[in-house]
Amino acid sequence: MSTAAVEQRLKEIWETPKTPWGWFATVDHKEIAQRYLFTAMLFMVIGGIEALIMRIQLARPNQMLIPPEMYDQLFSMHGLTMVFWYAQPILSGFAIYVIPLMIGARDMAFPRLNAFTYWLYLLSGLLLYISPFMGEAPHAGWFSYMPYTSYQYSPSHGLDFYSMALILFTLSMTGGAINFIVTIMRLRAPGMALSRMPLFLYSTLTISWVSIFAMPALSAACVFMELDRRWGTHFFGIAQGGNPVLWQQLFWFFAHPWVYIIFLPATGMLSMIIPVFSRRPIVGYAWVATATVLTGAVGFSVWLHHMFTVGMSDMTMSFFSAGSMLISLFTTLQVFAWVATLWKGRLVMTASMHFALGAVAALVIGGLNGTFTGIIPVDWQAHNTYYVIAHIHYVLIAGNVLPVFAAFYYWLPKMTGRMLNERLGKWSFWIMFAGLNLAFFPMHIVGLMGMPRRIFTYEPGLHLGPLNMLETIGAFMFGIGILLTIINIFRSLKHGAVAGRNPWNADTLEWATDSPPEPYARVHLPTVVTRHPLWDDHDEEYDPDDERVFAEGRLTLVSRWLDAEPFAISKMPKETISPFLLSLALFVFFLALVFQQMWVALGSVIVSLLLTYYWLWPRARGEEIA
Amino acid sequence: MATLAQSADSRFPRQPTTGYPLDDNRGTWAIALTIATEGTLFVCLFASYFFLENNKNRWAIDHPPKELYAFIMLAILVSSSFVLHWGERQVKRQRYVAARIALGITILMGLVFLAIQSVEYLDHWKDLTPYSDSYGSIFYTITTFHAAHVIVGLLILIYTLILPRYSPALRSPYRPYHVAALYWHFVDIVWVFVVGLLYVMPNLRIYGF
Repeated sequence: MSTAAVEQRLKEIWETPKTPWGWFATVDHKEIAQRYLFTAMLFMVIGGIEALIMRIQLARPNQMLIPPEMYDQLFSMHGLTMVFWYAQPILSGFAIYVIPLMIGARDMAFPRLNAFTYWLYLLSGLLLYISPFMGEAPHAGWFSYMPYTSYQYSPSHGLDFYSMALILFTLSMTGGAINFIVTIMRLRAPGMALSRMPLFLYSTLTISWVSIFAMPALSAACVFMELDRRWGTHFFGIAQGGNPVLWQQLFWFFAHPWVYIIFLPATGMLSMIIPVFSRRPIVGYAWVATATVLTGAVGFSVWLHHMFTVGMSDMTMSFFSAGSMLISLFTTLQVFAWVATLWKGRLVMTASMHFALGAVAALVIGGLNGTFTGIIPVDWQAHNTYYVIAHIHYVLIAGNVLPVFAAFYYWLPKMTGRMLNERLGKWSFWIMFAGLNLAFFPMHIVGLMGMPRRIFTYEPGLHLGPLNMLETIGAFMFGIGILLTIINIFRSLKHGAVAGRNPWNADTLEWATDSPPEPYARVHLPTVVTRHPLWDDHDEEYDPDDERVFAEGRLTLVSRWLDAEPFAISKMPKETISPFLLSLALFVFFLALVFQQMWVALGSVIVSLLLTYYWLWPRARGEEIA
Repeated sequence: MATLAQSADSRFPRQPTTGYPLDDNRGTWAIALTIATEGTLFVCLFASYFFLENNKNRWAIDHPPKELYAFIMLAILVSSSFVLHWGERQVKRQRYVAARIALGITILMGLVFLAIQSVEYLDHWKDLTPYSDSYGSIFYTITTFHAAHVIVGLLILIYTLILPRYSPALRSPYRPYHVAALYWHFVDIVWVFVVGLLYVMPNLRIYGF
């Protein structure tokens, strides 16, 4: 077959029909990833607006713009939205888009599961956001400590929405993690051994393993909470032998690894972007890879540092304090690797690089104040003050938001085929960076002055007013910076310069595809011989006998997890509507549980079961390879 | 360029990719990871059990649960795993009828397990309910979670039972069988832990262990 005919054939095989049915049934990782990115950014904007309303309320002492009950709901929804429905899904979005391209596969290992986890994610967010429209949003912060969250003290439906939406979200994240693990472990291009994997794959693989072992604790905690609230059990009530600290144990056993889940892939992005714009390979590849894996592993032994004020033995606290110090070493290692790369490289100061460098700078501040808080007596002093707010925002903005924005400027040209405006990007960066420091640095000071978190206002005469005003101004600057990039993205769709295949002269395989990539990504599946496929002499797609085209159906190569030696061919499923329908049924199930409508719940269980059978049922047609 | 590419390519041992078999191992990976995450869920539940024990005004040691039913259930579930494993070996040898019979027996044993568990619950309920205290709450939560997993396991087995058979050349029914069996063994092993931690240990403690 001629090349054009082969391309036509592959396109017919892989393209999703552009019909309404195709829109709901698509399993194309590129399409699903863009939905992840769009949805996560939407949640970020919503969470950001919630934050800005809070900052207006706090700008001056004794303001009464919003009632305290509403303030409680706002900070809870802000935290939940940002920590769960923005921070991880945005990273998943990038990962789902670039990883199959980066490893030379034609899709994720489980394309239908991929669609399913997206729909679950979207619907879990919708489930959470039903509650504010009922005026009953969760109001106990993102970690919702017992016993305040028991039925006795919080009778509204807010925390039922909280627990049910989180369980649904957990299902989505666990499915996503399984998909990432199998994709990265099995679908890598021939030759892309573990030692040649791009570092972004290391971080995504690590957090996927972490998710597998961390998420169940959250599910268990949420089940206990719901049982206690609505079904009369006694997990947390002291009088009946329960223990409210059980909630904290389970929640933080999940939530501290979660912090690394939303942080590590972003460091992986930095480890991709910084070397490309330093025009050299990263310094200390093996060290960075090892540090990533160790951060994930040791991340399981630090959770008690959230609970130093609960009352524990000195030995326990010392152990977890030491764990927290230890883990900062691994992040430091990564920071030094980036700095050394910059030092040895020739910098190309693109907008993406601005965000990456800003992230490293802010991460140093966030890392240092975190290590400081890990010391037990300091923690006792700073606990529950704005100091902790300063820490979490520095870490998460430096360890998630700024790298994500760097990734937007870096990878969006691949997705849309259009470059973002560099000038506007740099403006956006400087405004965001100034806003970040203006908004969050003073929080260290007001925190140490004793301003507690989660209060809706404060007295005049405590010298807190000016600094809080400064924080509000900074928060709005940060918001404007984000808005500039959003404008930049939409503007680029029409007016951006055409990107071409590899606008950054980058080294990884996704840049060898068209921008935007064809549905089948590339005609010849690539082979890899070094860590930097596009920087070496080897021609990845050299395949004179058309042995790696696989135009017989939806097929991709499977290789061994350690040395990426190919050994089998994997069949990929076609478009199907069942993931969407199944996620809807599960949504109805959890919605019914919020209101204890058990017959509806039972009905949706039966529907889910039938849909699962329908989904998995083998179909004789399309089974055979043409 | 071609010569350069060829020379570079020669560093990599090129094998013909056309003769590869179809990959039938993805499902095994997925079920293994599902088992890992569900196993962690049970670890969390057991951890909660021991954490709540710290704050007891009444705990299992006062009224250790009767073990008889639990042991019968354990025997049934463990032997069902052996039956299912025998069935899996039959699929490998392409003796599909025998495999389906083994599957049917396993399902029946699972149903008997659930039936005995409901009898056990009725007996237990006189003394302890989920509403009586934290011990009751966690005891019934763990056992009900396990029962829910038995039900899911049964649904997977039923799906495998009614799965149409393909000619072996097209697609061996071995893989679905294997995946279903792995999940069933997992459910089985969890019950071993439930019996050990929730039934046997409190009874041993009476004697000062």
